[in-house]
Amino acid sequence: MNDKREKSVLGGILGRGYAAIFYDNWPIGLGGLLIAVMSMITFAWARPWGVAGGLRNWGDNFFSLIGVYSHPPLSPLISTNSILTLGLLWGAFGSALMSKQFAIRKAPPLELLKGIVGGTLMGIGAAMAGGCNVGGFYSAVSALSFSGIAMMIGLIIGAYLGLRYIYWELEHLPSGGGSGAISEKKQKGFSWLHAEPYLGVAILLAGIVCAWIYNQKALTRVGGLLLCGMAFGVIIQRTRFCFVRGFRDPFMTGEAEVARAMAVSVIISMLGFAALKWTGLRGEDAYVAQAFWFGGLVGGIIFAFGAVLSGGCGSGSVWRAGEGQVKLMIAVTCFALSMSLFEALIDSSTGLQALMGHRVFLPDFIQYKWTVIGITVLMFVYYMLAIWNEETDRFTVEM
Amino acid sequence: MVDDIKADETLDCKGLSCPMPILKTKKAIGKMDSGQIIEVLSTDPGTKNDLPAFAKRSGHEYLGHKDDEGFARLYLKVK
Repeated sequence: MNDKREKSVLGGILGRGYAAIFYDNWPIGLGGLLIAVMSMITFAWARPWGVAGGLRNWGDNFFSLIGVYSHPPLSPLISTNSILTLGLLWGAFGSALMSKQFAIRKAPPLELLKGIVGGTLMGIGAAMAGGCNVGGFYSAVSALSFSGIAMMIGLIIGAYLGLRYIYWELEHLPSGGGSGAISEKKQKGFSWLHAEPYLGVAILLAGIVCAWIYNQKALTRVGGLLLCGMAFGVIIQRTRFCFVRGFRDPFMTGEAEVARAMAVSVIISMLGFAALKWTGLRGEDAYVAQAFWFGGLVGGIIFAFGAVLSGGCGSGSVWRAGEGQVKLMIAVTCFALSMSLFEALIDSSTGLQALMGHRVFLPDFIQYKWTVIGITVLMFVYYMLAIWNEETDRFTVEM
Repeated sequence: MVDDIKADETLDCKGLSCPMPILKTKKAIGKMDSGQIIEVLSTDPGTKNDLPAFAKRSGHEYLGHKDDEGFARLYLKVK
């Protein structure tokens, strides 16, 4: 009797724990912290976190397969870029299943068109800036690259312009809704929704098994990166952390929550990167892209405009695709293809490469200590501006 | 509680993703009177977080949501 009650108490605790982790969304601030921690772990383990590089690798492989490129790219099973992005998709998919949030979500035609245009623009912007909001901004600023700050300014401008377009669209092209009810195959007596958590566990376990197989094949680093990518996927799906909101929301609703979480996250991640580079444990040139200032700034503007259209940035599009949103699946596909093509174009022309700008590793110019202080102050200013705007609505654009 | 709510307006945002449900709600509320209730239908899981946050910031009262088949119905009382 007593034993039974204890068991049911334990069941209750486990049930509540599961609900807290997989049914309630985690706070955005926690997301920022966990992303910063994972960003440092990933760099310490092998390399900085990136998303667009993986998409580019998939695009390269596709074009190589159909004979557009003559040189075969790195296999997506070996490329660390590809593995990180695959892990993100995988982790988000598993996490969405465990939260019963996975469903194929169709979207009306105008939304799908925005996915195509937005994805294509993101690919072009990421090619110019040396990465998406992650590799070109988040990891780049962490890696003390000046191009990351150029891209941040571009992202702010692009998010503003994108929002202006959305407002225009709301007035002139009522996209409706209603057509996008979830396609659910109804089977009598069997609900997919109830099976989703079990499927989610299986998917996440399969990822761990794959990492173990990599380990057996002497590719431990790649396997570890798969786990890192999956951790990003779970964290980002559970917190619904969306970088584009960090730039868009201050203009849209005035909300500062994501902007604040993002600013704090960048500071923590940057401190970790600075420690790893300053001490010589990691190469100083890691994630210092040849994109200061034109590539970062203009790429950032194009990227953020595309991200607002598609409703998700580099990481955001991938995790939402993993949640079953058709519009974002299309955006990710267009992103991969356009980035691959645009990178190939830039690589083939020395003029274009020169136009994108220079590699500027800030400590080469202002030492490590001033770089760390400068980036911290900059992010703090962004944090304070976001709060100030939340109170005053000074930058909020009315419809 | 949420079951008894009678909405004055229903806004169908099924198939739309962030930020469209919030912006459409904001626009629809602009045409409504104080005290009226809007019902938002959404398939995007993010709306369950975003709409209460939007309500809190803009002073409208978030009344809650209920899950329907494949989408959620969310209720907001206009300030």
